[in-house]
Amino acid sequence: MNIYLKLLAANLRSQLQHRASFVLDVIGTGLANGLEFIAFMLAFTRFGEIGGWSFWQVAFLWGLSETAFGTMDMIFSGYDPGYFSELVKRGDFDRVLVRPVRLPVQLFAAEFALRRIGRIGQGGLIFALALANVAIDWTPIKLAYLPVVFVSAVAFYGALFTLGAALCFWTTESIEIVNVFTYGGTTMASYPMHIYNDFLRRVFTFVVPTALMIYYPALFFFDLPDPTGLPHFVQWLAPLAGFGLLALAFGVWQLGVRRYQSVGN
Amino acid sequence: MPTKLLRPRPYFALVRLAFHKQLAYRAANLAGFFTNSFFSVLRASVVIALYKAQPAGTTVGGYSLQDAVTYTGVGQALIGWIALWGWWDILLVVKSGDVATDLQRPIGFFWYWCAQDFGRACGQMLLRGLPILLLYAVLYPITWPNSVAQSLGMLMTLLLAWFVSFAWRFLYSLAAFWSSDAKGFGRAAVFIATFASGFIMPLGFFPDWAQRLLRALPWASIVNTPVEAFVNVVTGKALLLAIAQQLFWAVALCVLAHAVLYAGSRKLAVDGG
Repeated sequence: MNIYLKLLAANLRSQLQHRASFVLDVIGTGLANGLEFIAFMLAFTRFGEIGGWSFWQVAFLWGLSETAFGTMDMIFSGYDPGYFSELVKRGDFDRVLVRPVRLPVQLFAAEFALRRIGRIGQGGLIFALALANVAIDWTPIKLAYLPVVFVSAVAFYGALFTLGAALCFWTTESIEIVNVFTYGGTTMASYPMHIYNDFLRRVFTFVVPTALMIYYPALFFFDLPDPTGLPHFVQWLAPLAGFGLLALAFGVWQLGVRRYQSVGN
Repeated sequence: MPTKLLRPRPYFALVRLAFHKQLAYRAANLAGFFTNSFFSVLRASVVIALYKAQPAGTTVGGYSLQDAVTYTGVGQALIGWIALWGWWDILLVVKSGDVATDLQRPIGFFWYWCAQDFGRACGQMLLRGLPILLLYAVLYPITWPNSVAQSLGMLMTLLLAWFVSFAWRFLYSLAAFWSSDAKGFGRAAVFIATFASGFIMPLGFFPDWAQRLLRALPWASIVNTPVEAFVNVVTGKALLLAIAQQLFWAVALCVLAHAVLYAGSRKLAVDGG
């Protein structure tokens, strides 16, 4: 842990060296998703509801999903499939392997992307506004479950990044289809899942359980009946699915490391 | 300069080369097609859900449900054609200093890249744009241009949309003459274009004040105009007017790009070698 903090501190110092570029990047990453939300908000004035949900209910999903993904993106940048495949392709992963520090410590510390606070700030703002405007009947259980859902969603998105990175051990190239599940999944989870067709919804519930992380817990917070007809307990599966998948992802990653044979340059 | 422009041969060669280059990236294009399809279905689902709450037959901003679904499809089909996203070719050429070589070519820098970008756009339209549109025609009932005149007008808006997009991309790429970190600036330029072009939501869905503002800006020419022509939301005289507006922005951005290029290349100092 000590060495992690030292590496992290060095990394953060280097990121803050170029102030102007850093600030621009923060604004940029925040703006990207913020504008998408504004477009949705402006269009929403003409429609009034989506899948029976109000604007602020959707904002709740949107803010939760974005903030969790942004937080994950900051912590797990070393496992970003796009970044990691470059590391493998250039042969730089060899250098990481021979250092006398454990791999996860290096990867987490080396690429802690502080600029992602733009996306986190944007998601957090939407989420805060949603909490202030949406009608939720708060109970102690709900208050306790909300942070659990958030942390589980961070772990879940982290698991997807780690799996995407692990694939690079077999393929070298990063696989674009992974983006559908990471970035596509976040976008998808920003809307109530029952607006999608059965196939898409099932894939994102049973294969890649994005829906378990955001949508089903939201049904619990809003005290809404489940229009998709799953048993009641799925609303409580977020921590199990999130951390379970993360453990699995690190297992696959370890397998990949063991089988890794460098690109040979 | 004009005399150079009048010799079309090298431009055709550049267009052809760039086109063939696109055909070479099969795996990337297939992956791109898959991603596009996913986001298409996602966007279409959102639009369908929005209309579902309205009485049947409701039109919003001139769009029926079918038009709006078509909008999401044409929008996705345009991604490769207009290349608003992740396109850094010129920015990297300026940043690396290779621009010095390009500027010495017997072809204007702007037109040299314009020809290549047209070839790239045609390749993308063939490999990603048309397949997405066909997929849409299979998955959903979609709206097509309803007459020969409308189709011709639509093709015109499509061509101008590409050119306005190119001029815009060219323009912000030139920021690399002044800043070594032009990519941050470029990203902001991309976000603004994504929003203001109507790519995320048709401008017709926005409140009147936002529409008035966004329709007066150049980016509407890149996505909103061709799609409104495609789904017959804009027809006849209004279509001609929309084309005229695109032409205005095409010329304005082209002139501006040349002016900024002139200023940037004044500043360029190449070290020996």
